[in-house]
Amino acid sequence: MKLSKGVAIVGVGMTRFHHKTHAEKTSREIFVEAALEAVDSVDNGIQLGDVEALFVGNFSSDAFEKQGHTAALMADWLGLTPKASTRIEDACASSGVALNMGVFAIASGAYDVVLVGGVEKMRGLGTEEVTDTLAMAADGLYEVGAGFTFPGLYAALATAHFDRYGSNWEQLASIAIKNHHNGALNPKAHFQSEIMDTAIRRGERRGMAFKDEIDFLSSSLNPVIAYPLRLFDCCPISDGAAVVLLASEEIARRFTDTPVYIKGIGQASDTMALHDRADLTMLRATRLAALEAYRMAGVEACDIDVADVHDCFTIAEVLATEDLGFFPEGEGGKAACEGRTALDGDVPVNPDGGLKAKGHPVGATGTAMAYEMYKQLRGEAGKRQVDDVKNGLSHNVGASGATAVVQIYGR
Amino acid sequence: MEGFTVKAFHDFLRENKIMGSRCKDCEGVNLPPRPVCPVCGGRDLEWVEIRGKGVVEAYTVITVPLTKMSNRCPYAVGVVKMDGGPSVSGLILGVTEGDDVSVGSRVVAEFVKEGDETVLCFRQT
Repeated sequence: MKLSKGVAIVGVGMTRFHHKTHAEKTSREIFVEAALEAVDSVDNGIQLGDVEALFVGNFSSDAFEKQGHTAALMADWLGLTPKASTRIEDACASSGVALNMGVFAIASGAYDVVLVGGVEKMRGLGTEEVTDTLAMAADGLYEVGAGFTFPGLYAALATAHFDRYGSNWEQLASIAIKNHHNGALNPKAHFQSEIMDTAIRRGERRGMAFKDEIDFLSSSLNPVIAYPLRLFDCCPISDGAAVVLLASEEIARRFTDTPVYIKGIGQASDTMALHDRADLTMLRATRLAALEAYRMAGVEACDIDVADVHDCFTIAEVLATEDLGFFPEGEGGKAACEGRTALDGDVPVNPDGGLKAKGHPVGATGTAMAYEMYKQLRGEAGKRQVDDVKNGLSHNVGASGATAVVQIYGR
Repeated sequence: MEGFTVKAFHDFLRENKIMGSRCKDCEGVNLPPRPVCPVCGGRDLEWVEIRGKGVVEAYTVITVPLTKMSNRCPYAVGVVKMDGGPSVSGLILGVTEGDDVSVGSRVVAEFVKEGDETVLCFRQT
């Protein structure tokens, strides 16, 4: 795959991802908040009217808010009618795929400025109803019908990985600890607290004391959701939106002296049901999407300086860091344990806290990753800034890996 | 029975039969059945009965359920590789703790009646 024209990000915006902040809002207000921040972020200025088309990632405003036709609604609320506005639904990869569609739309020569966003307002429903809605992203007849929940599918992948490689839950816990640490440095993260601080706070309320993070994470205050995954192995249920503004390479420097180029993109699908896959210890779609993106960008896994990967569950970060080629098969958990994915490690992964601590309003996650890569590549990531970033990577997965999308960024 | 449909699969389950589709071109077997062979694209298919024994490939024990399952928590569900080829998802009955079963455990099919439907489940042997 080859693009006939280069595409750059020239502005980004996102709301805080949170379970309470947006309680009084609907997805349209959340999306507008992120879009206006993106417009205001453009160094040399841009007018909303410069946007020629919109691509909106959204998983299920239909089920969460009883509101369909989300893309036109967002164009309407931004005052951008009659511009073309298209909704992309690929489960949790919705806005990651929307980003690739925005890139295609510019690379085709059809447009010069495109707005790509993602939004999800999830907290209008209770936990069991959210569990039902997320399960819609799996095979409804043959997986959910058989009793699988969405966390259950990743839990099953974890048991297969543990069995083959001897990986273990303590390794997963080290990913949660690392991502909460990063989240504590990110003012837009859902959780901005070190796990040990949470342990002390919650323990005090119940007259319990913990000697370290693992002691807390092994306790009754971290209940099992789907064995072997516990509460702190799962991302929270959050509301939020993230928006990026794309421009063709010809005009990108009109908007900023430091655009961030999207140097490579890839996308792949796989079977909906886990039971139809030959190997349950990896996500094939991630491997294929990454291969395509690396080829297009002319880089390899070892050239990536920072990555946002899809850690909807801690085991997903293990799989991602192996499938993206950062570590050999079976060694993703060990690498995390050794600190190799920490902010000062060989490949910092999820400097923004990842889905685990930053939150995962599912349709907004792909563009929120692009937001982070834009900040990292421009050296604007504040306390969570990684040193010397030349190449960044984002990796967004739909459900249990039936969709995967990868982008590679450079200056 | 015509058509390799969801309905046909469920109708066979009511007769306590696990039926998949076999591609006459590449002999690939799919469970549940499909109208097109995902391996070679073949459309010349035949029914094949799958014997009800297999091995657990991956599993979980769920404690935060779907609303329809909330009265039976905790429960185990897994991916079972059937002897003779394909894998399928199903409840693993009699398991309520993660340590009660493991990857590699042998299981046998159990046909559980729920109203008019028959659900394919498994139990350790």
